[in-house]
Amino acid sequence: MPSLRTGRRRGPLGIAAGVLAVAAIAMLIFAGTGSAKPNDAAAHSRVKAGGTVTMALPPSTVVNYIFPFMGLQFFSVYNISYMQQNLFRPLYWFGRGSTPALNPAISLAALPKYTKNNTVVTINLKPYKWSNGESVTAQQVVFWMNILKVQKLGWAAYSPGGMPDDVKSVVANSPTKVTITLTGPTNPGWFTYNQLSQITPFPMAWDISATGQKAGSEACGKAPYAKVVVKTDKKNSKVTPTSPEAKSCEKVFEYLSRQSGFDPKNPKAPNNSLKTYATNPLWQVVDGPWHLTKFDSAGTFTLEPNPKYSGPVKPKIDKVVMLPYTSNAAEFNALVGGKIDVGYLPYEDVTSPAKSPLVPGKNHPRLSDFNIDPWYGWGIYYIVPNFNSTGNNGQAGKIMKQLYFRQAFQLLINQPLYIEKLNKGYGVPTYGPVPVLPKNPFATKFAASNPYSYNPKRAIALLTAHGWKVDPKNVTTCADAAKCGVPAGTKLQFTLPYAVGSATTKQLMEAEQASWQQAGIKVTLSVGSFNTVIGNAVPCTGKSCTWEMAFWGGWIYAPDFYPSGELLFQTGAGSNSGSYSDKKNDALIKDTNFGDATLASWQNYLVTQLPVFWQPNQAAQLTEIRKNLKGVVPQNPLQSINPENWFFTQ
Amino acid sequence: MIGYLARRVVQAILVVFGVMLLVFLLEHVIPGGAARAALGQRASQAQIDQFNQLNGYDLPIWHQFLDYCRDLILHFNLGYSYRKNQGVAQLIQETLPKTLVLVGISTFLAVIVAVPLGVLQVVRRNKPIDYILTGTAFIFYAMPAFLLGQILILYFAIDLSWFSTEAPQSASAWGVLSQPKDLVLPVLSLAAITIAAFSRYMRSSMMEALTEDYVRTAKAKGASQRRVLYRHALRNALIPLITLLGLSLPAIVGGALITETVFNFPGMGLLTTQAAVNNDVPLLLGTTFVAALATVVGSLMADVLYAIADPRVRYA
Repeated sequence: MPSLRTGRRRGPLGIAAGVLAVAAIAMLIFAGTGSAKPNDAAAHSRVKAGGTVTMALPPSTVVNYIFPFMGLQFFSVYNISYMQQNLFRPLYWFGRGSTPALNPAISLAALPKYTKNNTVVTINLKPYKWSNGESVTAQQVVFWMNILKVQKLGWAAYSPGGMPDDVKSVVANSPTKVTITLTGPTNPGWFTYNQLSQITPFPMAWDISATGQKAGSEACGKAPYAKVVVKTDKKNSKVTPTSPEAKSCEKVFEYLSRQSGFDPKNPKAPNNSLKTYATNPLWQVVDGPWHLTKFDSAGTFTLEPNPKYSGPVKPKIDKVVMLPYTSNAAEFNALVGGKIDVGYLPYEDVTSPAKSPLVPGKNHPRLSDFNIDPWYGWGIYYIVPNFNSTGNNGQAGKIMKQLYFRQAFQLLINQPLYIEKLNKGYGVPTYGPVPVLPKNPFATKFAASNPYSYNPKRAIALLTAHGWKVDPKNVTTCADAAKCGVPAGTKLQFTLPYAVGSATTKQLMEAEQASWQQAGIKVTLSVGSFNTVIGNAVPCTGKSCTWEMAFWGGWIYAPDFYPSGELLFQTGAGSNSGSYSDKKNDALIKDTNFGDATLASWQNYLVTQLPVFWQPNQAAQLTEIRKNLKGVVPQNPLQSINPENWFFTQ
Repeated sequence: MIGYLARRVVQAILVVFGVMLLVFLLEHVIPGGAARAALGQRASQAQIDQFNQLNGYDLPIWHQFLDYCRDLILHFNLGYSYRKNQGVAQLIQETLPKTLVLVGISTFLAVIVAVPLGVLQVVRRNKPIDYILTGTAFIFYAMPAFLLGQILILYFAIDLSWFSTEAPQSASAWGVLSQPKDLVLPVLSLAAITIAAFSRYMRSSMMEALTEDYVRTAKAKGASQRRVLYRHALRNALIPLITLLGLSLPAIVGGALITETVFNFPGMGLLTTQAAVNNDVPLLLGTTFVAALATVVGSLMADVLYAIADPRVRYA
């Protein structure tokens, strides 16, 4: 994709840039074809209507929040993708075939139009209906924006500077047209993929603050965005509603949250709403293809077709039953025992390696009734170095800041080998901030080319050239402070805590540890729970900032589907755990968010800069699908599921 | 006896309080704390501060602990689990009865099988049956629960299709009881290991009882072999089992993590483990409270029953 960065000037150049931006959006959308496989086309002629599909949830998965406006504590793939989005459709659906592209066909609105120097976004809604007969309207988009304005800190996907901070006004021009005016120019790709992706229209049936009230009893749903007035403190840590409409929005939010099981005002209060999900009339007002008919607190739930679904693809099966599992072993036993139609093969049970990341090997001999399909998530894997670390006698952070060191460290990571041997072929390397697989319109050829392919000799040469006395049998030591960038005598030794996970993770860490030792880089591994590792590895400064590196997995781009990295790599970003800071990187990110730039320049820059140490990306799941069940593949890399596409064959 | 009981109850309360305090303190030294655990990697400092303030985690630890104890004692409010989006008391209320069914049945089965087995081994000691039963007991005792569970599933559920691969999936204890066929394998898996342990205890205890003076006296008085075994030796040999059963109560209440994991049975064991791994402080405190309570009650029950069964303990 050509670079569209033309700077901030307007006039003829600006218009050209606008046209190019629209073209870029179109490319982003249509680049992902994701057409059905030919076999599926044949299968369509043998559709057997009805049937129940049982689907296994991964071990220890908790599905526990139904209201599609939640804080980070409930913000999980399983709450959103497995339950909420099947009931309450987001304004824009992402995931087209096996690509992370926007899918206009099943979105509630037509593609957004950006005008006036990309400061005005116009959204035209399609004629969708809620199950209670209400139309999905522009005002319902405003309703969501009103709640966001009052509760931005309670919304998991909020990031300072993003919605609603960058929104000047939201107007429902007609029942089907919404206009969002921004405080400044935006990058259409970024705004569509990272901001509009968050919106889920709310029905007027939810504009209430007490059980039994009539739909629309509160003022929030009908209120114009401008009338919802709030006061935000200087630290942006408290939002106080000031207008009656804003107060009404707060009441509505609190009521809907309580109905979902969580009382934002009094979180310790006992609440038994979880059990009522399938019976509460509030949650039966749906615009998605499914509605909830059963839900128990253990995590089993059942979806049945919404008979009034007005979207294009109607469900063909009668029921989807989601079953939670306590362990991979329990799930595998159930799979072999024939209890599940869509499940997963635990990595420890893979008997035949993949031929390539997308072409699976032979299935497990006990699973002859199933097809296997690797499911790659839209994410990146990496080890985080702490650039401010005072570990290693105060030198760890200073060493991390040396690009040559990061290059040497990365050169000793043999991703293709680990994928082949440890991931049994079900993995793809990560070489930059944009994943190369699943196939997507964002990754550049350069990012896929890996400028730091495994080369121990080059790693040793780099260190030697920078004043280090390399000692593979012991520890490499700095011999020339001027070249090293750290005092002479400093040793290349670090501690690397990693999150306990599968046996593969342990093997990977140990293999890399041995590889780094080839250049005398002594890495001491330690293992901790995921929460302990991420709890330690937080952005920090000063003497207590001692952690040196950490590995817990990586980052999934959702609901910020545009992999622009402002949350991860920008100076001071909340999830920039290692405190990476680079002016050029910041400027490039800014351009991808608010300018006209594509992601190419930025990602190519970061590929070379190594803000983190890239790690292999193992397939998120090896999905097992019963052979007579079709429509499950291609799997959405954003880990959403569309059971309305599923059907049994004769 | 009343004074003895009163002393033991006071001790029990202190032990429960001590355990709770220890867990509370340990949970607070874990990096990141409850906020990071609940909100994850994406949380900004502002969001973490807000979470801490809403949940009282910004207060001094002693203040938090007193608040917790106050809620527990006055309102029996064990708090709220973010991870599960449910009240802790409710979670325990749902999970504990299911666990009691699974582990309780297994323990009961273990006792009624282990006692006669132990006696049989003594009666036929140093005979082939004794060697076979001893060898079998050692095999089961040494076998990891995970392996035994998997073997049972593979053979009886997958190859023979006699039973389900899973324990009953009902959310209630009654629901679990209403699927007895699905209970067979997990109960068997748990009971087999417990039988192995209990039968060894029973054998040793019975052997010891048979060497006692009162047994020799009974024999000298011309009591039949049957009477000597069941009236004199067995009753005394059962006393150590009282202790064993009392000590089994925490296990019955605390669940059987491995069996729950293999048979997809989300019970108390799994609930506690997940709470610990997820830094789910209120849930961990809740399950710890229940386990600590079961431990002291079990121990207390054993002491009391022991005192009733053996007057020497009382008089001492």
